[in-house]
Amino acid sequence: MPAALKARASAWLGWQRLPRDARDTLFMLFVIGWTVLPHVGHLAAWCSLLTLAVLLWRARLALDNAALPSRWVLVAVLLFAAGLTLWSHQTLLGKEPGVTMVVVLMALKTLELRARRDAFVVFFLGFFIVLTHFLYSQSLLVAVAMLVSVWGLLTALVLVHMPVGQPSLRQAGALAARTALWGAPIMALMFVLFPRIGPLWGVPSDGQVKTGLSNTMRMGSVAELALDDSIALRVRFDGPPPAPGAMYFRGPVLTRFDGHEWRVANFDSFATLRAPSNLQVRGDPVRYEMTLEPLRITSLPLLEATGIAPAIEGYRTLALPDLQWLTDRPVIERLRFKAEAWPQFTHGPRTSTPALREALELPAGYNPRTLAWAAELRRQPAYANAPPRVLAAALMTHIRTQRYTYTVAPGEYGANAVDEFWLDRREGFCEHFASAFVVIMRALNVPARIVTGFQGTDAAPIDGYYAVRQSSAHAWAEYWEPGTGWVRADPTAAVAPDRIDRGSRLAPPPGLMAGALGNVSPELLARLRGGWEAINNRWNQWVLNYSRGQQIDVLKSLGVDSPSWEDLALLLIVSLSSLALGGAAWAWWDRHRIDPWVRQMERLRAALRRLGLDSAAHDAPRALAARVRAQYGAQGEALAALLDALERQRYSRTTLARPDAALTRAFVSHARGLRPAR
Amino acid sequence: MLNPARQLRQRFQRWAQSRQARTDTLQLTQRNVYILPTRAGLLFAVTVIVLLLASINYQLNLGYVLTFLLAGSGVVSMHITHATLRGLTLHLRPVAPAFVGDAVLLDVVLTSPGTARFGIGLKVASAAPGTLSWINVPALGQASAQLSFVATARGRHEVPTLGAETRFPLGLFRTWTVWRPAAQLLVYPKPEHPAAALPLTRAVAGGAAQARINDGGEVEGVRAYRRGDPPKLIAWKKAAKAMEAGGDLVSRDTSAAVHQALWLDWQGCGSLAPEDRLSRLAAWTLAAHRAGAEYGLRLPDRELDLASGDAHRRHCLEALALWR
Repeated sequence: MPAALKARASAWLGWQRLPRDARDTLFMLFVIGWTVLPHVGHLAAWCSLLTLAVLLWRARLALDNAALPSRWVLVAVLLFAAGLTLWSHQTLLGKEPGVTMVVVLMALKTLELRARRDAFVVFFLGFFIVLTHFLYSQSLLVAVAMLVSVWGLLTALVLVHMPVGQPSLRQAGALAARTALWGAPIMALMFVLFPRIGPLWGVPSDGQVKTGLSNTMRMGSVAELALDDSIALRVRFDGPPPAPGAMYFRGPVLTRFDGHEWRVANFDSFATLRAPSNLQVRGDPVRYEMTLEPLRITSLPLLEATGIAPAIEGYRTLALPDLQWLTDRPVIERLRFKAEAWPQFTHGPRTSTPALREALELPAGYNPRTLAWAAELRRQPAYANAPPRVLAAALMTHIRTQRYTYTVAPGEYGANAVDEFWLDRREGFCEHFASAFVVIMRALNVPARIVTGFQGTDAAPIDGYYAVRQSSAHAWAEYWEPGTGWVRADPTAAVAPDRIDRGSRLAPPPGLMAGALGNVSPELLARLRGGWEAINNRWNQWVLNYSRGQQIDVLKSLGVDSPSWEDLALLLIVSLSSLALGGAAWAWWDRHRIDPWVRQMERLRAALRRLGLDSAAHDAPRALAARVRAQYGAQGEALAALLDALERQRYSRTTLARPDAALTRAFVSHARGLRPAR
Repeated sequence: MLNPARQLRQRFQRWAQSRQARTDTLQLTQRNVYILPTRAGLLFAVTVIVLLLASINYQLNLGYVLTFLLAGSGVVSMHITHATLRGLTLHLRPVAPAFVGDAVLLDVVLTSPGTARFGIGLKVASAAPGTLSWINVPALGQASAQLSFVATARGRHEVPTLGAETRFPLGLFRTWTVWRPAAQLLVYPKPEHPAAALPLTRAVAGGAAQARINDGGEVEGVRAYRRGDPPKLIAWKKAAKAMEAGGDLVSRDTSAAVHQALWLDWQGCGSLAPEDRLSRLAAWTLAAHRAGAEYGLRLPDRELDLASGDAHRRHCLEALALWR
């Protein structure tokens, strides 16, 4: 529509000359557009387009000063949007459809801005939309964008309440910023002290979706994570860090296999008690501090092997016999805690137990060719009675020598995925290698299982923290060796030693911009990225990571012994009350504030009164000067000249903004030098 | 009928009014500036609570930041709203007299001792909420606002109670003040319209010596036909034209210029009710003043001697306004 474009362009050029109403409306539409913009990625395409169309339509109406559409049109569009929402989400409840409907409502409400009440509805919906962004991301960028949004909304709100003339946007923006800045101390205080409590109802599965580790694994599910460069956890080591090849962060252990999917073993509480993990450690422990992102699972991916429960404020931790650490509820906030791990360890039963039987089960009818391959291996004399470690080594050798390829994108696998991978395509990601390894070990009658977690960290620490990314997610295997227990075997190390020993991950193709920059200057790219992540880390540590543990630390640093929830609330109430009292005191003090010019005149008049010269409040400095001259003649000329100067300061063409304190002082001292008349 | 709520409200109003001394210059302080949240403010509070619940339930630290930022801004806006009125000085300039039915203009000067103040609305307290006249006051400066209301009864009245309010900056709170100016307002009777023609000097019983009886004097102009006009006074040519155009007969007007002196007499108003007589006398006063005549006003208990000029006009109207 060139006509509409032209109108918009001319409106933009003549922004200052627009009528007040049109300008305010355009500004608000712009703010709304900015607020909704980051949602475009999550919303259905129709919703983004509908919103854009409505906002443009409203802008057009504002520019043409045309009448708003009737309510029936709005109702029709709203019903249409609700229908589309139902069609694309199958429901009107829940996060996605909720956000969709709020955005549509907000856009449509702009077509109904008749009374001031309507404007308020738009503003409050706007604040709500700002919050919904945080469900998707709480990154620094989103925070900055939303700060701008809140500022814009407050500015529009201020504009509504400046009905006189045509206040500039800059002025309204400054007033809004001032309001928010003065509110910032209250915000900081409440943020620090407001007791963090758990969700009031339900567990927010709708929160940020993190495809972290889970209690199940399918072919391809870890490979998905290889594309996710976000950080899963950060570790800082008290001493030197362990070798990259030893950095296994142990997550869920998957024992049960149904042919498609690996699942965790069944633990009832009784079995949990009965089967000890039998962890035996050697050597010196590695002490580390971990900052764990909210992965929304109960599994704690601790460094292998962490023997003692880490103390985490607000959570109870529990060790399973398979050496996995759990929390009593899903971790939905950033956690920071300290722990110790022993890189050298053994675990698991020394002798065969019934519990091992589960680690031998294979689903009937799946992967027959691999089973046949294993049986053939067994028939070779060298392996007929070989112990498990020899069999494992044989498999590793097979992987190393038979031209297997380690790739992020191995393609789709069918029902007999292990057959297809092991014997035909030989291309896979860590889970393919681990699955095949475990299936073959089981076929060889060796108990084996898959361990998922993270392996390796970024090469260089940032701020002392080694970042472990979602793309470091890994699956490896463990087999059971009589007399030793469970032994780690990482078939990925056989095919891609770099992945394990140096932590170098398979990188997905970089984006256009990063790619170009990476070609020109890899160091610059790395440094930029490092700097950005350092800032991000601070952001995470100080803002997003702030939870009950940190609140308790704050109280401890304030000298409270064994602080509790109630202490926080009490401190918050006391601080807010004193702030309120401070505000009231300021208002009370402000009562005495009078016009500084009047105050100056009062001082001058008081000085004259001591000399016996009475004057009235309305007497101009000029009149007083005349009286001084009449009284003292040449003697009082200095005083009179000062009064004349004051007259010029106040009423001449070049007036001062504020009274001249030096003049007041000079006047008072001169007046002291004179003797009272009569 | 006894209505307890109404009685209570009246009692409260009487008490509130007695708290407020009448003054033409009102300094707004903590003691006479009131503040309450608006409906939008309550809606805002609900929004903040919903945001807080969402932040708790989804464990969003940035949600907490947003919630508390809005809460902090709301609290600060309360102080700013209150400070917008507090410290201002309101001054009412002398009020010009007005006629019943006309708008009385009140000129209010607002002085700010410090910062600039925005979005202050002033109105007569009893007027509808939508009739605020908005004004900004510059820093260390003055601004004046004009309020108007319709005078309903003649006489000397107190200026009605005025109200100033603001919702600046966010509209979450409304702060207001009630001001009872001490100034008094003179309201003249409503001039009769259409005005009856000025009485002829002939009608003046025992008229002054200057009055000349002259029915056939020099023709000075024309005026509407009045019952009793002799046919020779009718300007026939003009009357024909006027009647063609749907008008009335037109008589020659010989009174105004010729009769420099003129008595406006209560008794000369025929059998009108007292208030209507006052209206007619007011209209005559205005007409006589316009014509530049020398005129006097005769009321049952008062008589203003023949004179002319603005002061005389004012005295006459004042006498009419304050009669009994």
